[in-house]
Amino acid sequence: MSNGPLVKQQGSMMPANLRGPRTDRIRSASTAENITEFLVFTLGTARMGLPLESVQEILKLVAITEVPRASHEVLGILSVRGRITTVLDLRRRLGQPSVEPTRHTRILLVAGSDETLGLVVDTVLHVVRLREDEIEASSVVAADLPEHVLGLGRPRRRDAVRGVVGASETKGDSGEAEVIVLLDPDPLLRR
Amino acid sequence: MSDEVERIREEFLAESQEIIESLSRDLLLLDHGQKEGKPDPDLVNSVFRGVHTLKGIAGMFGHVALSELAHELEDLLDQLRLGKIPLSQEALDVMFEGVEVLQRLLGAARRNADPASEVDLATFRRSLQMLMGLQSQHPRLDALGGYDLDPGVLTVLTEYEEHRLRSNVEQSVPLYRLRVRFSLSSIDSDLEELKQRVKPWAEIITYLPSMEGGSDDAIDLEVLMASRTPVAELRDAIGGPDVTIEPVTRRDPGRTVPPPAPTTREGESRDEAAAMKEPGAAVVRPPSVVPAKDVNLGADALAVRTVAKTVRVDIEKLDHLMNLVGELGIVKSAVGRIVERLRQRADMRPLASELHRIHRAFERQLAGMQEGILDVRMVPLGQTFDRLGRAVRQVAREHGKDVRLVVTGAETEIDKLIVEELTDPLLHIIRNAVDHGIERAEARLAIGKPETGTLALNAYQKGSHVVIEIEDDGAGIDPARILSHAISRGLLSAESGQDMSAEELRQLIFLPGFSTAAEVTDLSGRGVGMDVVKTNIGRLGGVIDVHSQVGIGTKFTLTLPITLAILSALVLRVRGQTFAIPLNVVQEALFLDETAVRLVEDHEVITLRGQSLPIVRLASLFRISGEPTGARSFVVVTALGNRRLGLVVDALEGQQDIITKPLGKSLHNVRGFSGATDLGDQRVVLVLDAPSILEEVLASGDRRGVAA
Repeated sequence: MSNGPLVKQQGSMMPANLRGPRTDRIRSASTAENITEFLVFTLGTARMGLPLESVQEILKLVAITEVPRASHEVLGILSVRGRITTVLDLRRRLGQPSVEPTRHTRILLVAGSDETLGLVVDTVLHVVRLREDEIEASSVVAADLPEHVLGLGRPRRRDAVRGVVGASETKGDSGEAEVIVLLDPDPLLRR
Repeated sequence: MSDEVERIREEFLAESQEIIESLSRDLLLLDHGQKEGKPDPDLVNSVFRGVHTLKGIAGMFGHVALSELAHELEDLLDQLRLGKIPLSQEALDVMFEGVEVLQRLLGAARRNADPASEVDLATFRRSLQMLMGLQSQHPRLDALGGYDLDPGVLTVLTEYEEHRLRSNVEQSVPLYRLRVRFSLSSIDSDLEELKQRVKPWAEIITYLPSMEGGSDDAIDLEVLMASRTPVAELRDAIGGPDVTIEPVTRRDPGRTVPPPAPTTREGESRDEAAAMKEPGAAVVRPPSVVPAKDVNLGADALAVRTVAKTVRVDIEKLDHLMNLVGELGIVKSAVGRIVERLRQRADMRPLASELHRIHRAFERQLAGMQEGILDVRMVPLGQTFDRLGRAVRQVAREHGKDVRLVVTGAETEIDKLIVEELTDPLLHIIRNAVDHGIERAEARLAIGKPETGTLALNAYQKGSHVVIEIEDDGAGIDPARILSHAISRGLLSAESGQDMSAEELRQLIFLPGFSTAAEVTDLSGRGVGMDVVKTNIGRLGGVIDVHSQVGIGTKFTLTLPITLAILSALVLRVRGQTFAIPLNVVQEALFLDETAVRLVEDHEVITLRGQSLPIVRLASLFRISGEPTGARSFVVVTALGNRRLGLVVDALEGQQDIITKPLGKSLHNVRGFSGATDLGDQRVVLVLDAPSILEEVLASGDRRGVAA
């Protein structure tokens, strides 16, 4: 089962807008059988992934309008094609100190069940396709993980990674596959 | 294809809803008439027609339960309009219940739910059957009080007309014969006009073309009507050069009545009646005589024409148009800026003034377009009030109370979007008023109030706002009980309660957690979810106030914007940030004279034309750090209802049309902003929520800073 044919999906490769202007969209790319695609990004030293189908768009950092009295995690609002969208600093959301934006800073438009929010991340890396046996469920990893952690991903195959953008790929010295903290968008966006 | 199916389904749902609403309106009027002792038979007919139409369309769309129930109601209505069942309070109750059940069935259809799970049809059917069992047997048409009516006329009366004739004779209402000559070319409208003219004075029982008189292009009609109005007054009111009115005499052998000739209208109505009946039901068709002319009389034709002039429009389509117009407004502003830049250059002056003219014309047209679209979105509050009337009746019945609903200003118009959001809060207030406000009849009599309680629903426009008042003459809200309740719930300390005025105490009912449904039935005050009501009204950009006097009554006042769509807004700056505030809440803007600021119990106040004006510095309210951008500050005077507040800002940028867009759910707990807007120059700015700011600063000044 796990070696079933990979369905080639249009648009499941890296979207053009990772390099270019903010207007293109990532096509929702559900996968064949039990393969899930995650968009991998960095936050500080950690690698994190969000299910690709939940990421609607990747925007370059643009001017964000501050919202007085909003909670600490809220950077502000911006208008995405006429729709007012709230932007969260993912670092603050996860209890890390925020940092100055760089030219790699991106806003991921992520769909939760309530609304679509913008999440500011340090660098967007690539899309990884994980088989079921490459994902460790959070319940297996540790009991006390926050509910927005879906599990840990350990891609084992070279061809799991699709496309490389922005910062250079830094693999562990041992040559062992990177560990990716897989996030569950719903509890992450619900506050 | 499925889109088409969905569209048709929507159409069905909307039309059914409209019918149910008009049914409920007619029933309320009928109820009113019945209480006054003179129910309007036309209303029974109108309800009958509505139920009949509903039956038809429900059947067409396969909503069996809805269609069957409508059919049963139709039977009942048929009995009612033929006088076989008296139009009693019980009958009305069953009819109201029927409409309620229809509404629930429609709700089930809307959600694609199983109607059986939503509605207990069996119980309703039992009360329906019980009522039908009351059917009385009338003697056949005979003793008609000795009126001189031609037997020929009597045979062509429809069953309904016969019932109306008998009913009038039984009540000793004098009968009259009216003759009128109409031109064939305008008979439709002339007849309609005559009916309208007669209606206030007399009931038309039937009309027949007269064999006497008439010509190729004119027709004489003879109208049989009943009225208690003296003949001289009748002649004054509805007489005219072509109209003669004579009392129908009793047993006058000398008088001859023209031979009857039924018109197409009668033929039609009988066909209609036949069609409405179950197949197999015996319908006796009177001998039909060739009508004088093939004229289509009657209101139905007219009604069809009126309907054809209106179109139902999906509000989303209007929103889309509104958005486009908003975008055009942004284009307009951009062009305006170019005009300004061109004007700076001497060599461009002629071009600048030409563009300026075009710009002005564009501006005018755009304003017209905006107004037009806004106008289309406006609906009268009447529809909502009708629904509320039904609720009043139902709640009053549930609680065994006697309540009269008085409505004024039903024609006041408001944005459709607001109306939709308004029904629930209004319903809530009204239920509370009947449930907790208005006393039982015995209690009322004991304190010298009229037995029947009054609930008044008033609406009127005030500037760019609509005010809705819900006033009852009930027990009022007792501040002492509110105080003890608030203290017991830990919302207030006994000490802080000491200093509060009665009005301040009444405001406590809007606090979250003030009351829960379980406890409030025992409390004479209100409070079931009034915090929710307040939040919902606030979300619409409105405010709610309560005034009450113990023993005399309670009045809730809702002040709402007329529209949520395009607004004129004032763009202003506070430190580095830009905000917009809807102009409809802005009274004026002035320089702030810092030396004139006084402190009154920790509140900053200035004097404006002899009156104190509390002010609030937005920079500190919103905790925006940084230095003021200019040397002087401005005060933007905002007003809502009777309350005024000056907002201190650093700079005013000017006026602009904006479309307020909602903030995401994650920001709903942030107070002070009603939304955000795209200013068109890549700037997204927050729109200040003046009601909530006024509320925050004025109502809970002592808690300022803690709330945020």
